[in-house]
Amino acid sequence: MLVFPGTNSEDETLRAVRAVGLEGELVHWSQPEKLARFDAYILPGGFAYEDRIRAGAVAAHDAVMDSVIEAAQAGKYVLGICNGAQILAEAGLVPGTGPLRRPTAAFAPNASGRFQSVHVHVKLAVDPSRVPILAGIEPGAVIPAWASHGDGRLAAPDDELARIERDGHLAFVYCDRDGTTVAAPNGSALSCAGLVNAEGNVLAIMPHPERDAWTFQHLDATRDAVRGNTEEMLAPSGGIVFFEAFARAVLAEAIA
Amino acid sequence: MTAGVDDAVARGRELGVALSDDELRRIADHLGRLPTATELFAFDAQWSEHCSYKSSREHLKKLPTEGPSVLLGVGEDAGIVRLGEWNGETYGIVVAHESHNHPSQVVPFEGAATGIGGIVRDVLCMGAEVIGIADPLRFGRLENEHCRYVAQQVVDGIAAYGNAIGVPNVGGDVFFDESFDDNVLVNVVALGLVKEKDIIHSRAPEGSVGWDIVLVGKATDRSGFGGASFSSLTLDEEDADQNKGAVQVPDPFLKNVIMRASYAVFAELRANGIVAGFKDLGAGGLAGCSAELCAAGGMGAEVELDRVSTAQRDLPPEVIAIGETQERLCWIVPPSFTPTLLAIYNEMYSLPRVARGACAAIIGKVSDTGRYVAKHCGETVMDVDLEFLTGGVRYHREFVMPPHSRETELERERAVVDAVRVRPATLLARLRAVLAHRDVASRASIFRRYDGVVRGCTAIPPGFADAGVLVPVPGAPLGVAVGIGGNPRYGKIDPRHAAELAVAEAVGHVAAVGAHAAALTDCLNFGDPTVPEQMGAFVAAVDGLAHAARELGVPYVSGNVSFYNRSSSGKHVAPSPIVGCIGTIADVSRIATMGFKHAGSAIVVTAPLELALGGSVIAELLGIASATLPELRYHAFVRQCALVTDALACGAIASAHLIGDGGTLAAIAKMSLTSPRRCGFRVDPKPVAEHAGHEIVWFSEVPGFVVEVVDAASFAELGARHHVDAYDAGEVTGEPDAVIGDERVTLAELREAWEAPLREFYGASTGSA
Repeated sequence: MLVFPGTNSEDETLRAVRAVGLEGELVHWSQPEKLARFDAYILPGGFAYEDRIRAGAVAAHDAVMDSVIEAAQAGKYVLGICNGAQILAEAGLVPGTGPLRRPTAAFAPNASGRFQSVHVHVKLAVDPSRVPILAGIEPGAVIPAWASHGDGRLAAPDDELARIERDGHLAFVYCDRDGTTVAAPNGSALSCAGLVNAEGNVLAIMPHPERDAWTFQHLDATRDAVRGNTEEMLAPSGGIVFFEAFARAVLAEAIA
Repeated sequence: MTAGVDDAVARGRELGVALSDDELRRIADHLGRLPTATELFAFDAQWSEHCSYKSSREHLKKLPTEGPSVLLGVGEDAGIVRLGEWNGETYGIVVAHESHNHPSQVVPFEGAATGIGGIVRDVLCMGAEVIGIADPLRFGRLENEHCRYVAQQVVDGIAAYGNAIGVPNVGGDVFFDESFDDNVLVNVVALGLVKEKDIIHSRAPEGSVGWDIVLVGKATDRSGFGGASFSSLTLDEEDADQNKGAVQVPDPFLKNVIMRASYAVFAELRANGIVAGFKDLGAGGLAGCSAELCAAGGMGAEVELDRVSTAQRDLPPEVIAIGETQERLCWIVPPSFTPTLLAIYNEMYSLPRVARGACAAIIGKVSDTGRYVAKHCGETVMDVDLEFLTGGVRYHREFVMPPHSRETELERERAVVDAVRVRPATLLARLRAVLAHRDVASRASIFRRYDGVVRGCTAIPPGFADAGVLVPVPGAPLGVAVGIGGNPRYGKIDPRHAAELAVAEAVGHVAAVGAHAAALTDCLNFGDPTVPEQMGAFVAAVDGLAHAARELGVPYVSGNVSFYNRSSSGKHVAPSPIVGCIGTIADVSRIATMGFKHAGSAIVVTAPLELALGGSVIAELLGIASATLPELRYHAFVRQCALVTDALACGAIASAHLIGDGGTLAAIAKMSLTSPRRCGFRVDPKPVAEHAGHEIVWFSEVPGFVVEVVDAASFAELGARHHVDAYDAGEVTGEPDAVIGDERVTLAELREAWEAPLREFYGASTGSA
């Protein structure tokens, strides 16, 4: 799990990863030499280099990203959440339709012009077979998450947006709890909440499933249903399905 | 008397320090020579109201500060309350409370942001992980253009800083009042998590003579020079530019990295069993911080100001020593550990790469002289007795206690009858107006600008219950709740009673989520203490805080005083004692949000039926000038709180909400409007109105709760055991409507009334939850 100056979601993301049976460790921007030996990479949320120029832009050009880009090109799994998603877009890894570090689409400032933190649901919008990084995820899976960001609005030229939709790069869209697509709270084009590359090994998702991944974090009736049951209240659920699918992919690859 | 004494007064005046002539004479007399500029600025900061509590200390000692839940009492940068045990370890919650009122009025964005920056360091330096913040805010009227600017910028500043450092904002409150037109109040509570055995103290450890003094953080610059004494002045338009220079410049991204690097240092210290001293640089800058560290350990200090990393060349020694540049902390560590410490900050977390000039650097050594000696370019620019510098000064301010008047019951009823005759309306129409009142309207559009869920430990983010709840120890069922209390409309009427109600409100808020009130923290925001009426309001409020805490059995673990909240035109802020209550939860599976959960539940009210409208929202809407605040019967209130937490624990109730601004009917409406299942409600207002003598009682802000009863038999049994009288107010429905007697309205319409006022100001943002 790669940490930049300004990352702030590394602990909860690491907890989610460990809860689904993976081993993980934090690697700082100052330690690129440590990166080679991992099976998969996660870029967690927060900020990087003050999000100067555009969110994720400076980090995408950091030398430490060379290893991540190499790994992605070698077919290893790379997951970016929130600021990590912004970095992957700026690095040109998602949607991955153009040259490296020459983004064809970016996560731009929210339509409101402000940081906002709202609870959302996102829905898998692509054929699961197209996203090996989320092995075994259900078609149309609905995942609860928090959209806590200032720059989560997918922006790209019209022909690029058409390509994203047509070629299966639109991984997640915002939806209601029943799975009906809704307008993105940040004004994102295509109601896009996540992008995936053509090979399906690099995934960028703006909202945070790791912040609604334990029952005690659920604000809906599912928490109320287990009131008084300490064990269940502290158990993983909800957004954890996202990480479970990721773990299946990583473990399958590591065993293979 | 020495020769330099009169010159010292002249020099002090020339340098523009806020020290009085008497204080200047005392300093020169003690030193036996003309003080240097560095020394004068050091005393100016240390002896300021902000640092020395010189007017307030004699009164603050009345506050109860001891109790079995207190791990570390008042005295260091923050207090610590026991959270509970897990896996054989005792965990504590670090609690700090500050105001950043003056800076936020002058430069609202930076002022509010650095308010968070400062309080976070107070928590960090106890060896804790920073786990949450909460902001009580008091803005002027939004009709006033400058107030609008301040109200926007303060929220932006809090969001920008808190979001970037990755600390969830879990609560706070907001009031709008004309008394804050020229003096905004920006208070901030910060919480940290630390194991009892891992607490780091803000003092040079025993036997630390010869240890290194290490300064960590941003390169020192001119920003924030004179901040401490500026906070102790009345704001004046003419000094606007000078005041702006006294406000620090925030860098939350650097702070983000410093926090994480410090956590890594904590781990190394613990692994090696090293005891160190750690303190935040706040008011008084480097000299203030290192002096207090060494004085607290009974040591002295020798500091080389040339070794301080500066952003500009040729900074004068007084700016290096006293300037309040943000994002800095000071360590005292044994020289054997220093290389490890420097490597963590400078290499692993590469501070110099994150911000120009930022680093960790040795700047001096601990001595055994009891003196603070600072050198600059080979010259001694400061050489003072530490006890004299940090011992501060004390003043007894004259005060006049506020007058006390209450109307008779008959007068109160007559006023209500008359007012209602002039402004006839149905209960529903009045409810809409109450929900749309600036102090009742939904705060969601503010809370949504803050990240309330970063760190992944948030069980209840702001806006879903009376208190925010964190589950800070991963895997453990332990929870911590933070509730806020304080109402400026009450403060204007009766500061003492307002303070008591603020404590009860904060305590009631944590009870409503199912937490046990474990500790209090106060921030006292008042006008000019040299005005006897203002000082009297302060003294009365402290009396109220002390009395309420004793009656409710909850000690204070931290606090702050902010005086001189007065404009140049002579307007003082409403006396504003603001209280935070830290609640602990043994089993977070028992907590509850305030939204109605089940159609068919009974809506039950545990509050007394009283027509006490002083300072209430309905009194303002009706134009009633009542001086009768709601009565606080402590024994009854304690029993109500116990009933609510017990009933939540056993599942007899599914939700609870403290009756606050807008009274009982507004409380019921808010429980419906925050219902995760979008439950409506039906209320029959007649029996209550008849019993109390007037239907306006539905808006009386009486201390008590509205609860959603799902198991009537168990609730009745608990009510009898706690001797709480409760009455049925209505029922929760599965329809998306609110029904009050024979009136009906859709929840959508009611929601619009509640959300529109601040949404229009702070902007819309919706989620799907």
